[in-house]
Amino acid sequence: MKSKFLKLPIILFFIILFIFFYLLIIDRNPAKVPSALLNKNVPSFVTKTLVKNEKFSSSKEFGDQVTLVNFFATWCKPCKDEHGFIMRFSSEKNIKIVGINYKDNPKKAIEWLKKLGDPYSSVALDKNGKIAIDWGVYGIPETFIVNSKGIIKYRHVGAITPKIYKKINLIIKEIE
Amino acid sequence: MLNNIFKVIISILLIQINMSNCNAVEPDEILNDPKQELRARKISKNIRCMVCQNQSIDDSSSSIARDFRILIRSKIQEGSKDKEIYKFLVERYGDFVLLKPPLKSNTMALWFLPFIFLVIGILVILNHNKKSN
Repeated sequence: MKSKFLKLPIILFFIILFIFFYLLIIDRNPAKVPSALLNKNVPSFVTKTLVKNEKFSSSKEFGDQVTLVNFFATWCKPCKDEHGFIMRFSSEKNIKIVGINYKDNPKKAIEWLKKLGDPYSSVALDKNGKIAIDWGVYGIPETFIVNSKGIIKYRHVGAITPKIYKKINLIIKEIE
Repeated sequence: MLNNIFKVIISILLIQINMSNCNAVEPDEILNDPKQELRARKISKNIRCMVCQNQSIDDSSSSIARDFRILIRSKIQEGSKDKEIYKFLVERYGDFVLLKPPLKSNTMALWFLPFIFLVIGILVILNHNKKSN
């Protein structure tokens, strides 16, 4: 009878071990947090644009077509790494791409876009990071897909990789 | 020997006490009204730094944590209640931004499993004692 009670903790131990091991091997990154804004409306904000210093109003910019929103900064190395993919989206896809320049020096940002190419239909300025907080952004680069009704359908934290590039293409196809 | 072990334990405890007092709030962030500042500190201790994840924004020196602290303080100055500030952050960052997970249907297991395991453990021990008697 004694051995029966000794078996129980051992079985439990292996069940827990199995669960841990399973979570370890599946494709999961605990540092990535699902967006609380998925399937919600784009946060409304008003700011200035980067190049022409004109008024940028979210209510005018979103909601007429599928839009890719990309938070970037010149001081962010992964932003430079993913820039080629953003350029590809702008040349290959018939979608609008809005950039949000996060806590950056506007002069440097304009130079950066001249050098690397400007895929954005317009770039909004987020000087103090307040717009980013409204979008639930915590680590740039971050990329969102907004559908033609102005609802956020996808969010990716970190640089766009070839795998994510394919995924974004699929999602754009799905919502178009 | 025992004396040395005792000394080591005491110093570890002292380090812990010392660490709990350190925080990342910078002088320019502090509000003039001590009551409001205290509220801000209390809220900050419950909000997760999304970059470092196991630190509160009160402890973290990352730039996003600083942005959160400043935001919380400006909301307090605007007259927002604590609940409204938590709601504002949860709406944008999800429940994950709270260091203490709220009691919801999907967190039931998290909250109650330890008690269920405790009961099972007590039952196993009682049963075991009975048998050996």
